Amino acid sequence: MKHAALVLLLVTAIAVPLGAQSDVAARLAGRVPPEVARAVAEIAAGVAARGLPVEPLVQKAVEGGAKGVPSDRVIAAVRALAARLDEAAGALRAAGLSNPDADLVDGTAYALSQGLSAAQVRDLARAIHAPYDAATTLRVAATLSALGVPPEQTVQLVEGVIQAGGTPDDVLDLPSEVEAGMAHGRSAAQAAQGLGRGHATGTPGGRPLVPPGQAKKHKP
Amino acid sequence: MSMSKTYHPLVKGLLDGERSLADLPPELRAEAEEAERLLGAVDRTPVSLSPALDARVMAAVRRRAASPVRRAWRRLVEPREFELRLRIRPWIAWGGALAVAAATALVVLGRPSVIPAGGPTPTRVAARDSIYVRFVLYAPGAKRVAVAGTFNQWDQNAAPLVPAGTSGIWTTTLALPVGQHQYAFVVDGERWVADPGAPAVDDGFGRRNSVVAVTAHAGRAL
Repeated sequence: MKHAALVLLLVTAIAVPLGAQSDVAARLAGRVPPEVARAVAEIAAGVAARGLPVEPLVQKAVEGGAKGVPSDRVIAAVRALAARLDEAAGALRAAGLSNPDADLVDGTAYALSQGLSAAQVRDLARAIHAPYDAATTLRVAATLSALGVPPEQTVQLVEGVIQAGGTPDDVLDLPSEVEAGMAHGRSAAQAAQGLGRGHATGTPGGRPLVPPGQAKKHKP
Repeated sequence: MSMSKTYHPLVKGLLDGERSLADLPPELRAEAEEAERLLGAVDRTPVSLSPALDARVMAAVRRRAASPVRRAWRRLVEPREFELRLRIRPWIAWGGALAVAAATALVVLGRPSVIPAGGPTPTRVAARDSIYVRFVLYAPGAKRVAVAGTFNQWDQNAAPLVPAGTSGIWTTTLALPVGQHQYAFVVDGERWVADPGAPAVDDGFGRRNSVVAVTAHAGRAL
């Protein structure tokens, strides 16, 4: 019985990567040069064997092929993404998410690619709860970081909105609000700081929320 | 050179039998005599048509009428009268009318309404999980512009933009699923351009992708 289980495990361990490899190669055929398809299929087989999603790798290769990026550069980008998927899965495990879905792993890898550390991603993942979508929230954090908000401040800002009871749309609005602040001459960090204060007091954008006609105190 | 000759009205009256030669003034008599001479030279023998002519004409008419193409065309274009009699219960009629009204309302509500200008612009819900987003690029001199991204597998043929006259502004509106999407414009099939109206992130190849986030309520350029 023990032998049978071992054989089954072994067969599964071999079959899954092989299946992933052939599937990826088939999907990339005609969309990327053959050498890229082969290399990505091999990378994907390894990723699938570790229980990670291969779809982000396929998409990245397709993107590179569509843009006419040189083969070696596409392969390097896919390899780097595979490494980030590994790192993302580790960060999520550290946050207590032992079985994250493919979208969450992809979103986490994206956050890592934009400068957030594994520890910051872990902390943020811990703070996210319903109704916030974890993958989307991590992508927002990644975009904030890409805009120039320091990673630590990014995590504080997103966590602050969640703790203040902001809506998921409030989270999604953060990058465009930072951009709006930058359009007024502030640095990304300054814009994010203003937003952080505003959300902490329930006044996004740092402006006090005053109902129309209530700006002046009523005379007794 | 003209072969016709215009006679005096009094001479014409003579030819028509309305008056005699004696009724005409002397100066018109020579003209009248010439006209009568010409008229007398006309062959007045009765013309008899071949008996086969009728048959030939009718055969031609029947051939035209029998042409299936012509008949089909007539059925399509010629007005015809129809009489339609329906015998239904009133509640069926009212139910049908309500169903048609509901379907019309759904179709109308599913369409984008006023689309504000600028960047990747959200409008309204297209389907349960999709939002119409308008993409705009100012690319004067471009012959072709498309938007490619994570939402269409980076296929530069999937979503072409349409030029707005000769202003150099290209636009398209896409129904995107809820979520965050990366994209870029493709100008003339070879130049990949980030959207100047939206934030951009590194694409991993040393270039920039623009980012748009679509929620159930609206899309946002992140």
